[in-house]
Amino acid sequence: MEIPYTVTARKDTGLFNSKVGIWLFLASEVMLFGGLFSGYIFLRIYADYPWPERTLPVLPGLINTFVLIGSSVTVVFAWAALKMRQWRRFQVFMGITIACAAIFMVLKGIEYTAKWGHQAVRMDDYAIVEGHTHKAELDDHGHFHVIHGKKYPDHAFPANRIVFETNEIQIDLTRFYAPYMKELIEQAEERGSKILLADTIAGKRNPKADEKTVAMAGEELAVGFLKDARELFLDARAHNAGVRTDELRRLWRVAKKNNPGEPAYLLASSVQVDDAALAPRLVPATGTVKFNVQPPMPFVFKRSWIRESEESARLKDDTILRGKLQECPLVMGVDAIDFRYMAQKAEAAGKEPMSVIANSWLLQKPEYKELWKQHLESVEKLEQKLIDSHGWKDEARGIANRVPTDTERYRIGWKDLVEYKTGERPSMVQGFAGPSHKKEEFAKAFPELEIPNEKISLQSKFTPKWNTYYAIYFTLTGLHGLHVIGGAIVLAYYLFFSKGLYLRNPEWLANRVEVGGLFWHFVDLVWIFLFPILYLM
Amino acid sequence: MSAEATAAHDEHHDDHHHDLPFYRKYIWSTDHKVIGIQYGITALLFLAFGFYLMMVMRWSIAYPHEPLPGWMSWIFTEEWKARWLQDGKVTGDTYNMFGAMHGTIMVFLGIVPLGFAAFGNYVVPLQIGTVDMAFPRLNMVSYWLYVIGGGIMCASFFMESGAAKSGWTNYSPLAGFADSQIVNQWLAGQTQWLLGMVFLISSSLLGAVNFLTTIINLRAKGMTWMRLPFFVWGMLVTGFLLLLAFPPLEVAAIMQLMDRVADSSFFMPSGLVSKTAGVLEVSGSGSPLLYQHLFWFLGHPEVYVLLLPAICCVAEIIPVNTRKPLWGYKSMVYAVLVLGFLSFIVWAHHMYLTGMGPVVSTFFQTTTVLISVPSVILLTSMIISLWGGSIRFTVPMLWAAAFLPMFGIGGLTGLPLAFNLVDLHLHDTYYVIGHFHYVVAPGVLFGLFAGVYHWYPKITGRFMDTFLGHLHFWPSLVFMNVLFFPMLTQGMAGFHRRWYNGGDAYLVEEGSGNIFGNTVLDWVAWNSVMSWGAWLLALAQIPFVINFFGSIRFGKKIKSDNPWDATTLEWATPTPPPHGNFTFDVAAYRGPYEYSRSDHEGDFYPQWEEPPREKAAPSKTTTTKESAKES
Amino acid sequence: MADSPEAVKKAQKLYLLIGAILFVFTVVTLLVATVPALDVGRHGFDLADMTIGLLIASLKAGLVAAIFMHLSNEKRTIYVLISLGIVFGLAMILLIWFAYADPIEFKGFYDIGNLK
Repeated sequence: MEIPYTVTARKDTGLFNSKVGIWLFLASEVMLFGGLFSGYIFLRIYADYPWPERTLPVLPGLINTFVLIGSSVTVVFAWAALKMRQWRRFQVFMGITIACAAIFMVLKGIEYTAKWGHQAVRMDDYAIVEGHTHKAELDDHGHFHVIHGKKYPDHAFPANRIVFETNEIQIDLTRFYAPYMKELIEQAEERGSKILLADTIAGKRNPKADEKTVAMAGEELAVGFLKDARELFLDARAHNAGVRTDELRRLWRVAKKNNPGEPAYLLASSVQVDDAALAPRLVPATGTVKFNVQPPMPFVFKRSWIRESEESARLKDDTILRGKLQECPLVMGVDAIDFRYMAQKAEAAGKEPMSVIANSWLLQKPEYKELWKQHLESVEKLEQKLIDSHGWKDEARGIANRVPTDTERYRIGWKDLVEYKTGERPSMVQGFAGPSHKKEEFAKAFPELEIPNEKISLQSKFTPKWNTYYAIYFTLTGLHGLHVIGGAIVLAYYLFFSKGLYLRNPEWLANRVEVGGLFWHFVDLVWIFLFPILYLM
Repeated sequence: MSAEATAAHDEHHDDHHHDLPFYRKYIWSTDHKVIGIQYGITALLFLAFGFYLMMVMRWSIAYPHEPLPGWMSWIFTEEWKARWLQDGKVTGDTYNMFGAMHGTIMVFLGIVPLGFAAFGNYVVPLQIGTVDMAFPRLNMVSYWLYVIGGGIMCASFFMESGAAKSGWTNYSPLAGFADSQIVNQWLAGQTQWLLGMVFLISSSLLGAVNFLTTIINLRAKGMTWMRLPFFVWGMLVTGFLLLLAFPPLEVAAIMQLMDRVADSSFFMPSGLVSKTAGVLEVSGSGSPLLYQHLFWFLGHPEVYVLLLPAICCVAEIIPVNTRKPLWGYKSMVYAVLVLGFLSFIVWAHHMYLTGMGPVVSTFFQTTTVLISVPSVILLTSMIISLWGGSIRFTVPMLWAAAFLPMFGIGGLTGLPLAFNLVDLHLHDTYYVIGHFHYVVAPGVLFGLFAGVYHWYPKITGRFMDTFLGHLHFWPSLVFMNVLFFPMLTQGMAGFHRRWYNGGDAYLVEEGSGNIFGNTVLDWVAWNSVMSWGAWLLALAQIPFVINFFGSIRFGKKIKSDNPWDATTLEWATPTPPPHGNFTFDVAAYRGPYEYSRSDHEGDFYPQWEEPPREKAAPSKTTTTKESAKES
Repeated sequence: MADSPEAVKKAQKLYLLIGAILFVFTVVTLLVATVPALDVGRHGFDLADMTIGLLIASLKAGLVAAIFMHLSNEKRTIYVLISLGIVFGLAMILLIWFAYADPIEFKGFYDIGNLK
């Protein structure tokens, strides 16, 4: 059985099957990336905070554009070589194409890693700082202090954690998350504390069963007996539910017999399960277990794990910790300060942005006050330059033809910081993947900052969580990257495993490579739009 | 070495099919007929599951204070019941979960795979006269992606969080936030719904590519566009709808997935506060409306994806059983093409209450009212096709005939919803539920049942039993109406949808001044009537299950390969069709509905029958030149 | 099929040329975006910059589609298929924009703020 038109073209459409198929698929891909672009457009236009402009380092994106365009050329040369039955030439060009794909992904990886290592904090007054978190440790007294320098002890943690001195832990048996339990156990072991069961866990599955003791009071926390306790609780709960359900059914039968023809909603209020009467047939079932921490010790948690207040904290799996929230500021080297959001909020409230900024918490610190002064001078110079080059629109009212953008006015970027400190602005090549805190000549321009816990409104690395710009950036480039990988795999298959097909039916191979090449060109085409939209706009 | 030197011939595909082991022949099969049957049976199983979920929901609506009866709850473990039922009663959470999954399973796991993938896969290559789909292995991949997606969706019921519970439409911000208490988000039902959708969408996309390539490029000699059976035209348009409308939903699913696992704020507005989590620690500035637009951009073409395969089946069954050509074939073709085009620009009529201004609302209102025109053309053409026909009321014809008025009610009840002012009153009421269920349940499903009874003899070589067929049909027809008609009137009175307790919370004392409460009081008695309709409807499906499986062994054997005396190419194959389908060089010599031909033996002239040599008029057969011109 | 070996050989020169043009346009895109002297419209990023950027990108995309993807010498069927994708993609973006840009307004009733 042969399927027609897999190699030769059908006369009226002029196409072979896989070409029709790939163009159909590309039409759907246009809708896919169109949907993402439409997301980008609407999220940007209707954003209710200032949209980041030109915050991505351009050079990796630019190189990637050249790399992809080059690979588009080489893939079409590879196809041409096949059509001319030049196997060697095909291998060379296909190899270069795949190498280009690899370079693209490597550069992408460098970009992504740089972002995921970069910290951002929005404070409660809407000031935003970006930079690099330092490491910290808890000393023997449980006090938090920052470690500067390049060598950290093993127990050091990033200085953006929550530290909660805990004396009591309550665990929810149905909800506990084993990795969290392991973390608690490990940290306790490190500091020499013990997490001990407060009361013996024992119970019956049902009234007829034997009493089972799962764990004795004073036992150390372990996931094993927690799981057993959960089993016991679930069985007891199931038994109790069954008893109550049967009772409720019986009550309804009685109620309906005694009140024939009454609609159910009128009877409902009178049909109630009598808990007291039922108690002998039920078994006690408690879903939570308490532990004491002896001696009380500070636990260190990622912020995303925990909701904390002064006296108690709750982990995401409903584990409740009782104790006291410790001093745990977020300590970082700052490489960008952004007041645009603060300015937007000030304007919305009818206040003068510049004065709100001048009175902000951050600018009360002398180092930052000085930086801001330098920045204001630089903005003034820019204003003057623009007036000199483009003139006045309305000189009497002081309205120039061109004014600095909000980003220039309210944001001090890392290149600005370096310029203010050293007098030289880093070039595109020097800032390849963004600000590097490892380079001495840059790091000395980045001031230190300790942000108290209460002032933090939102903190995150440069991930989709930080703002919708990064969210759409990672989604768009991530999906595009997956297409690059997928396309490269298909092309690699043709490079390495198609010699046999080439010898049997070279025209069929040429068709398949053409179809693969069409997909590859589409991937390049998407990037042609992505690069200016994400990096330059 | 030049291109001409080597033979550019089409590669032989799986020549030794009969030597394949069992699992390659029936499980990892690439034969479109096997895949069609696989899709069909899997889809019917999912339909049954979705039906069960609805039965539990109907209990909650009719008797919210009573525990689930044993005959409905025996299937759950005691532990599950303790978690999800309160003293045996259906809770709001459980109702929402069942409701969301009922919709998802029926639409994405049931009707679309049954209508488009099952019937399309089996019948389309046969009707266009070719050996298989253009990409058989891709076809197999599509099926297994569907199974994986469906499996993920069903597995999510067993998670700590339960399955998705934010409506089948899964709107953000609720759907972005529900189940967020689960630490590992990948184990949350809401997240798994999104993951399952990604698999299902990929399956549909690949399937659509396959169908469209097949129809465009693999038609037999002489099978020009205007000689295609309407079934193929309908599948063509359905394929384009799936191809172009699904990707935006995939985008929405990916973005909502990012919201859940990466804490992004695509659809989370600023300042969201939850009772359990306080102020959400996200960046905000997202747009819940964007999700709705992307969802309904698919959502509307999706309803035509549901509908068209049923119309396809009915459009084939009517000519066969009236012994007349399909009336208005050409108008139907143009109508379905226009319908497909318009279906992309009507979606915001699902969003009239989202704060759209009068201008944009009027735009969508206009396009929505316009789209009723091609729909009506399709329906009336099929109704007129009955006129003057010699109607054989075979079981398929019963279902097809019932489809017409049932879908008519469904479609007509949609018209008030098209007007944004009327929709202000009807949105989110039971009227909407009544409308879309009329279209899909007594509408589409009847059409698909018709198709099952109609093509069963070709697939198995035996007829389905007529008595059981009637036992399936008549109660189904009655109970469908008992179940769904009161919804229309309840909804017009203002009864809300998605009330897990059937409006119980709003009931007032007789004579209270609360107008809303009084409306609920007036209509609440219908809840139990409708629920009994649903449960009896379930009973009515049992004859079908017996018939479906039993007739394979015990059904009346067919006497010819063309037991219905039909004209389309699928009846020119042996029964069941072998791998490769046709045993002769098949070509189409005339249109697809040459019935009432008094000049020919029997009353019909099959498409594949060669005209007699002596009387061969040049216009009857086609040369490749002509076919090149006509396509 | 237009792709006989001789035609393919001739086309290779064209591919190289188009590749070079694409490289040049990429540099142009960068310059237009970064060099202050080439900043049209207001200072900084505004609608004019966006239009120019998208125009250049569309031009590059058109070249890739027409030459590398052989669109310019394909038959009508392919044009129909890809046009459907583009048409409905644009319709989606424009109609969603329409819906956002025309929100309902209650004058003097109550302020519902920024509807999104």
